[in-house]
Amino acid sequence: MMLLKLTQNELYKIFSLMRSYIGIVLFTAIVPLILWGYGMGTSHIQGQIEGAVSEMFFIEGSPTNGYTAAYFIMNFFWVHIPFLIALVGGDIFAGEQANGTFRVYATRPISRLSIFISKTLATMIYTFIFVLYFGLLTLGLGLIWHGSGDMLVFQDGILILESSDAMQRFLIAYGFSFMNMALVSAIAIFFSTMVRNAIGPVIGTMALIIFFLMITTLPLDVFKNVQPYMFTTYFSNWEMVFFDPIPWDELFRGLALITSNLVFFLGVALIIFRRKDILS
Amino acid sequence: MVDAPTAPALTKDPTKAVNVPLALECHGISKRFKTIQALDNVSLTVPVGSIFGFLGPNGAGKSTLIRILAGLISSDSGHFNIFDRSSRSGHLVRKDMSTLVDRADFYKNLSAFHNMQLLGRLTGHDQPDHINELLQLLSLYERRNDKVKTFSQGMKQRLGLAQALLPNPKLLVLDEPTTGLDPQGMHEIRDFIFKIAEEQNVTIFLSSHLLHEVELICSDIALIFNGRIAAQGSLSSIFRDMEEVTVELEVEDTQAALQFLNESKLVKEVNRLSNALGVNIRYTDIPELIRTMATQGINIFSFSQRNRLENYFLSLMTTPQKVPLASLRSSSFARQAENAEAQSVDN
Repeated sequence: MMLLKLTQNELYKIFSLMRSYIGIVLFTAIVPLILWGYGMGTSHIQGQIEGAVSEMFFIEGSPTNGYTAAYFIMNFFWVHIPFLIALVGGDIFAGEQANGTFRVYATRPISRLSIFISKTLATMIYTFIFVLYFGLLTLGLGLIWHGSGDMLVFQDGILILESSDAMQRFLIAYGFSFMNMALVSAIAIFFSTMVRNAIGPVIGTMALIIFFLMITTLPLDVFKNVQPYMFTTYFSNWEMVFFDPIPWDELFRGLALITSNLVFFLGVALIIFRRKDILS
Repeated sequence: MVDAPTAPALTKDPTKAVNVPLALECHGISKRFKTIQALDNVSLTVPVGSIFGFLGPNGAGKSTLIRILAGLISSDSGHFNIFDRSSRSGHLVRKDMSTLVDRADFYKNLSAFHNMQLLGRLTGHDQPDHINELLQLLSLYERRNDKVKTFSQGMKQRLGLAQALLPNPKLLVLDEPTTGLDPQGMHEIRDFIFKIAEEQNVTIFLSSHLLHEVELICSDIALIFNGRIAAQGSLSSIFRDMEEVTVELEVEDTQAALQFLNESKLVKEVNRLSNALGVNIRYTDIPELIRTMATQGINIFSFSQRNRLENYFLSLMTTPQKVPLASLRSSSFARQAENAEAQSVDN
C-alpha cells in the first residue's frame, strides 16, 4: 500500500515536469511529418514494388501501407529514443538532490529501499507509456493515414507478411523495444544515484550507449569476441521479429542479456543509493 | 500514546538527578568525513516538552548530527533513541519525529497544497482538512493554490514548517530555520516555533549559531565545539551558575548610581555606556543589587541583561581544549576549566 502511494507520488512528479513531455511532443510533431513525407515520396516506389513482385505474389492493399511506414519509423528512431528516455531516468534521483527536495523526502520514516523501488517503478512505467505512445502513434496513425495491407520487409530479400501477422509481430517488437528502453532507464537511474545534477546522468547514459554502440558496430576482429556480451548488440533485435522464421533463440538470448544488464545496473544503483550520504 | 523513556536530568549537580521523560537521547555518536572528525562521541538528551537549542559555531557538527537523526547520513558509531524507538530499528525510529533540515525546498512547479499533499501521502497524512489546518496555522492558507516558485523565502520556510508538522510529530527537529531570512521573517519563524510548541504540544530541537535567537526561545541548550558536546542543560541553570553576567542600567541620576555601584561589594565591574551603565555581577546577586539600589533612592528606568548566552559561549570557546569537554555538564564547564588551568599551573 505504501509502495503504491510512493509510486503514485513519483508518477505525479514525473508528469508534472515539462521535460517528461519533450519526447512525447517531439514524436507527436515529427511522426505525422514523416508519415506525410512517406506518403509523398513512396508513390513511385510503390509502383516499382508492385511492378517487381506482382507477377510472383498477390499483394493485398498498398505495399507502402501503415505497417511498412511504422517499420520504417522504428528503424529510424531506435537510436534516438534512448536519449529522450534518459531525460526522465537521469533526473529521478539527481534532479531531486539538485533541488534539495530529496532531503525533505528522505527524512520521512520510509526505508531507502521503498524510495528506490518506487522511483524505479515510476521510471519504468514512464518508459512503458513512452514506448506505448510511440507504438500507437507510428502504427496507429500509420494505419489510419496509409491504410492496412500486407507488409513488405526487405531483409535479405523481400518478405511479405499478412496484415494480421504483421500486427502480432509489431506487438512483440514493441515488447522487445520496451525491454531495451527499460535498460536505458536503468542505466540512467544508475548514473542518477551517483551525482547531484540531472544533466550528468543523461550525458553519462548516452556516452555509455554510444561507446558500446561503437564497439558493437565496428567491423574489427579484435571486438568480435566481446560483441555478443554487449547489450547494444541487441538494441536492434526487435527487427528479428520480422524475420521468417522468427529466430526465437537469438531473441531470447538477447533478452536474457538485456535483463541481466538491467538487474546489474539497478542492483548497483540500489547499493549506492542505500549507502549514500545526502549532504545537499 | 508512546511512553517516553526517562533518564537523569542534567542539573547543576548530577547526583541530585531527577527522572524526566526524554524525547531524544544520543549515545556516543561519531562521524568522520575523510580527514575531518565531524562528530566525536556525541551524547545528549532532550527533555520532552522543551524547546532545545543546539548551539555551535559554523562547522562544529550541528548539521551533521541533525542529518544523522534525519536519516540523511549514517553515523560511524553510536546510536540514538527517539521516545521509545531506537535507531537500531532502522527508519521507524523517525516515526514520531519530523525534520526541517537547512532551508526548505519544494517542487517549485507545484502549489503549496500539492507540495503538502505529496509529502503527506507518504505517511498517510494527506487529508485536505489536515493540510488546510496546518496552512492556516502557518498563515499560508490564502496562498495554498499558488505555485511555490512565487513564494518569498519567509513563506517557503513557513511552508517547510507546515510540511514538517504534517505527520503530527512529537519531536520537531529544525536545522537553522531562520537562515537567509530578513529580521521580520526571523521574528515570524520564532513566533511560529513558540506557537507550534504550545498549540501542537511538540518538543522542539533547534540548531542555530544565532545565540540571541536561542536565548529568546529555548528552555534547554547543548553546546558543540569541534564535534564534541561542551556543555548542556537548562538555560536558566546555566545563567544561574554563570560567574558573571553583564546588565545594563538606565537610571535617573547616573553620577549617584555610578558612585553607589563602584562602592558596592556585589558589583565586579562598572562601565559607563552611551545611555546606560554596564554592570558585571553574579547572576544570583542581581535581586540583592536591585533591592539595595531602591532603598538608596536610586530610580531605575530600565534593567536588562545583555548577551548572556554570548558571554557564556565565548567563555567556552576561549578555553575549549583545556578540559575533557565531552564529560562536562552545564556551566560546571567554566569551573572545571579554571580548575584544570590551576592544576596545570601547579604542576
